[in-house]
Amino acid sequence: MRALKIAATGMTAQQMRVEVISNNLANMNTTGYNARRAEFADLHYQQQSRPGTISSSSGSVLPAGVQLGLGVRPTAVSVNLAQGALSISGGDLDIAIEGQGYLEVTLPSGLSGYTRDGALKRSADGLIVTSDGHPVAPEITVPNDARSISINADGEVYAYFNDRVEAELLGQFTLAGFANPKGLEAMGSNLFLETSASGPATVGTPGEEGLGIVRQGYLEDSSVDAVKEVTDLIEAQRGYELNAKVITAADQMLSATTQIR
Amino acid sequence: MENGSYTTLTRQSGLMREMQSVANNIANASTTGFRREGIVFSEHVTNLGDVPSLSMAQAGGHHIDTRQGGFEKTGGPLDLAIEGDGYFMIETPDGERLTRAGHFMSNGEGDLVTPEGFHVLDAGGAPVFIPPSAASISIAADGTMSADGAPISQLGLFTADPNGLQRVGSTMFEATTGVEPLIGGTVLQGFLEGSNVDPVTEIARMIEVQRSYELGQKFLEKEDERLRSVQKLVGR
Repeated sequence: MRALKIAATGMTAQQMRVEVISNNLANMNTTGYNARRAEFADLHYQQQSRPGTISSSSGSVLPAGVQLGLGVRPTAVSVNLAQGALSISGGDLDIAIEGQGYLEVTLPSGLSGYTRDGALKRSADGLIVTSDGHPVAPEITVPNDARSISINADGEVYAYFNDRVEAELLGQFTLAGFANPKGLEAMGSNLFLETSASGPATVGTPGEEGLGIVRQGYLEDSSVDAVKEVTDLIEAQRGYELNAKVITAADQMLSATTQIR
Repeated sequence: MENGSYTTLTRQSGLMREMQSVANNIANASTTGFRREGIVFSEHVTNLGDVPSLSMAQAGGHHIDTRQGGFEKTGGPLDLAIEGDGYFMIETPDGERLTRAGHFMSNGEGDLVTPEGFHVLDAGGAPVFIPPSAASISIAADGTMSADGAPISQLGLFTADPNGLQRVGSTMFEATTGVEPLIGGTVLQGFLEGSNVDPVTEIARMIEVQRSYELGQKFLEKEDERLRSVQKLVGR
């Protein structure tokens, strides 16, 4: 009896939805995190009789056939690329991207990773790195004797020194844009990798070609909306229970079948 | 077996099918753009000659419930919902398909695609292209897409005879009787249309199916008892 299996696909789908929601809630305070959403589509249909089938010798045609669905399957867990709120952190190396784009970082493997987590730090030799220690590309080194640094909206990093009036331009942050940012592969630690679905990175100056601008002293909050997630969670839980109910009913029908003498 | 039992059996197998359709509706209660399905039973008449004719139940057709599903605000610029009648046109390797599930994205080349990677077509039947450098995409109620304020394309909205729609999975329909462009459709940007399955109705229908099935089973049991007692009487 297929109703049992169909309800099982429904339960699996709702369970996956709960898993996505719990990951969103767990990352409520993760800098630069974007909420995910599980997407579903119906499975194939059994065509028991096709619409348009000739149903008699006089040539009358079935106006609508019989099609029985076989359940549901997950199609995508897509990232909702909403801008998170910017919160003041005050750190001179804390930057938030307002608009589209990712910071490019060089991973130990030599590959480029992309992130929106702008809580940057200085390494022992003055290099600007992410919290995990990956250097930001293009590499910018802050001299040890710099009194303070300032980053403007275009990503230009200036250093001020005690013995000079003029600020020194250390370098400029670039941002990477993608044709389909939803196609980036998340690898944890707020990092993403380029895939064939995302398209190649187009690196540009902040504020140009549709890229966002850089804000110093701010961090981008997680874009998770707790109220929405919790209502979705309730919906998923009830959906799960409904499917379980179908299994009970189908089971009782089967048990009635076995009682025929 | 007697005709009474056969008639009940056709009903029982029909109820099993209906149970399957209820299960499919409930399994798809969270599927974007899903249209509830139902089964229509018809009377199948057998001519028995000199005795009164006998009717059997037959699952004669299905219907697609075209009522509007609820809207969910997602905020995604390429999440589209249709208010009222109409379908988006998708190009698949098997031909053109209709869908109400407007969870679209652009692929690596900048084409507007479904989560399965099929192209979304514009009003003229050509794939929709979104310039990768566009900072913002806005879609007007009539389906006009603009990138940074400049119009780039017009999404195609189509309508088809609900009876000619055949489900092909992945929330897509095949229009067996052809499609027509929809005049005056309304597209909502940043929303997705939920499934139009109403859990309360489905559960009520499920209980009804289950109880009818048990009734049929009871009937078969009684019929069996009756035949046994006849056997006993005659065999004596």
